[in-house]
Amino acid sequence: MTASSSRSTQSVGFLTVCEHEAQGAFGGYLILNTVGRPLEFHCTAPVRPSRAQEILYGATLQAYLHGEQIGQALLEKAKLTPLVVFTDSPAVLTVRGFTSLPVACVMAADGESAQQTGSQPVHKLRWDEQHAGPPTPFALRLHAFHVGGHPLAVLQDHAEDAELIAERWEPLAAEFDLREPFTRIREAVDEARRSATR
Amino acid sequence: MASPSQPTDPRPDVSQLDLRVPVDPFNTGWNAAIGRPPKIVVEGPAFDGQAPKTLSVQFRRAPIKTFSFTFPEAPAWALKPPADKPAAQPPQANPPASQPPEPRPDRQPTRIAPPKDVIKLQDRLYYVLQPSLESLVASNSLEFPFEPFPYQMEGIAFLYSRYTAILADEMGLGKTMQAISTIRLLLCAGEVRNVLLICPKPLVTNWRREFLQWAPEVPLAIIEGDRVRREWQWRQEQTPVKIANYELLMRDRDVIVDPDLHFDLVVLDEAQRIKNRSSTTSQVVRAISRSRNWALTGTPIENSSEDLVGIFDFLAHGFLSADMKPRQMAKVTRDYILRRTKDAVLTDMPPKLYRDAELELTPEQFETYQMAEQEGVLRLEGMGEGITIQHVFELVLRLKQVCNFDPVTGASSKLERLEADLEEVAASGQKAIIFSQWVHCLDRLKERLQRFGTLEYHGRIPSKQRDGVIDRFRHDPDKHVILMSYGAGSVGLNLQFCRYVFLFDRWWNPAIEDQAINRAHRIGAAGSVTVTRMLTVGTIEERINQVLEEKRALFDQIFSQHEGPRQNVGLTQSEIFGLFNLRTPKGPLQAVA
Repeated sequence: MTASSSRSTQSVGFLTVCEHEAQGAFGGYLILNTVGRPLEFHCTAPVRPSRAQEILYGATLQAYLHGEQIGQALLEKAKLTPLVVFTDSPAVLTVRGFTSLPVACVMAADGESAQQTGSQPVHKLRWDEQHAGPPTPFALRLHAFHVGGHPLAVLQDHAEDAELIAERWEPLAAEFDLREPFTRIREAVDEARRSATR
Repeated sequence: MASPSQPTDPRPDVSQLDLRVPVDPFNTGWNAAIGRPPKIVVEGPAFDGQAPKTLSVQFRRAPIKTFSFTFPEAPAWALKPPADKPAAQPPQANPPASQPPEPRPDRQPTRIAPPKDVIKLQDRLYYVLQPSLESLVASNSLEFPFEPFPYQMEGIAFLYSRYTAILADEMGLGKTMQAISTIRLLLCAGEVRNVLLICPKPLVTNWRREFLQWAPEVPLAIIEGDRVRREWQWRQEQTPVKIANYELLMRDRDVIVDPDLHFDLVVLDEAQRIKNRSSTTSQVVRAISRSRNWALTGTPIENSSEDLVGIFDFLAHGFLSADMKPRQMAKVTRDYILRRTKDAVLTDMPPKLYRDAELELTPEQFETYQMAEQEGVLRLEGMGEGITIQHVFELVLRLKQVCNFDPVTGASSKLERLEADLEEVAASGQKAIIFSQWVHCLDRLKERLQRFGTLEYHGRIPSKQRDGVIDRFRHDPDKHVILMSYGAGSVGLNLQFCRYVFLFDRWWNPAIEDQAINRAHRIGAAGSVTVTRMLTVGTIEERINQVLEEKRALFDQIFSQHEGPRQNVGLTQSEIFGLFNLRTPKGPLQAVA
């Protein structure tokens, strides 16, 4: 994917995964124009890992499922090419390995991801190189930065994205509450889920 | 060893003894075995066909089922405020419904919810995925002259997604502002381009003023002038919002019902005007070609639940039927009607205090009343089978007039009490509205109340002069009283600077009384509003009051959340006859509104 088409300069992507206790994980990908109106929405049927996947992927399961599997499937469906893809879950950042789009995680001020993950945290993440303590095996290494007052993070392996995101997002940053679109995605996923069970 | 007889040889005799112990080896037969190398036998297990089982788990990327939805992008058409008309400067002469709350940073954003009658998931998601109203407003660079109340934002969100809706907020909660703001957002989103608003003629100027305040960038056309000009106005497409009055609909019927004339949205203000399904007005509005329709009314039910059926005949023909029970009607219309009361949403609004002035008739009035009632009842009884409800009404009106003034002497216990109360109102620098259903009654009051700086606002005051009357009443400190008829003064006026309302006589319909009272008791009210309902005891007024209370019960049954069993207690023919203990004659009677 590229961000070169004329329409791509006018849209922003928001990608997240909602866990449903009984049914599994639902992915949702919302593309908005620069005033926040929806242009595209893609969601997945519920995805549940097998028992073998749970055992063998261990701590990396969520990154595999949310980023590689669900995130990749959703990004491939989009017709528009957004300037940036934002997520509220660090686990989703691994989708960056399967797209050329810059992908950033919206962080809360305290360095945790904006998503409320409940009692099951995303596997442990390293905030930056100055993180205290020995490295955790398989931890996602993140590169933190700020754009327009929003604390963001990208995968350390794609730290160069930070500059690209800053360049593309800075002019629009004041207009957006980056956390709000994820609320819409969750409501839309819930609506679609209810619709499927009617 | 040496012997003693022989010479001694000094040499010791040495002999050798064989000390060897004879050892004969015992032949065990082991030695040969020990010398032999051990025999090693190598045995190989039989692995043929016995290879260990292995299990390979392959994590190929499993196909994930996805669902995709695309939405039209809003047109890049932004309505900009005209350069000479700054949006944020409302006319100070009339700050209606608008003592705004302070902005609250903790306020929850208002989201647009899909209506229940939107079934298709794509359409439902379109609404679910819209940004909050606050974001829509900000993103379109729209400004409100005052920050709306949260319930007003909810009202806008309610209307925004609905093709069929009744906004039935209690009078004074800002239905006008909610409708205008929603129209404005729909225009900005490109969802509507051609809107028709129909209101009573006296309210046209009020709507124009409110549009200037809440949507100054929206071009308006007031349908008026001669026939040629009106026809051109109806058909021209440059102006997105047209305002017409109900009276015009009759005259321009041929143009309006032309199927080539289509509106994306038709809004009926004071929609109770079409409650009578057989009326010409109702027939004309139903014939207008349109995509969406909303009804605005604080009183969707004035007399009976059939009023609501009449309004729905315009909104969604056939959706309701007159034989539905109130509870069933409440259930099926719930998603289409938004009704809020001031008590529920404006918890910090000044209270409305009712004071029932129950008065004895003066001796002169009493004598006249007794005579009129006795004669009237005798006459009705004498009609036998020829009696109609109209005959009963005539007697009721005659008696009510006597309760106001004795026709011969002009004596009035109500006026005596009113004068006393107004002394206090004027002395405290306050202002009062006095309502009556008769203009000739207001004339009499004017004569007696001149000292309070009395103004008039009723059907005989030309429309062009009415705004000036209100303006004087608002600003002239010597004008303490305005005399209003229920018909002219009960809707569309913002008189929240008045703290006293007098109902000199009672209207048949409690909803009309509420509308009248809410001219003063509305958003922005300066303080508590005292409502004095004048009632002469032992008269027809007292009996009518009982019927009014029962009508309130009917309204509550349909529009309140409580579903307790109540009977339909509207004004029936039997009850009207019962006002004089008259027996209902056989056969159908002509209904009187």
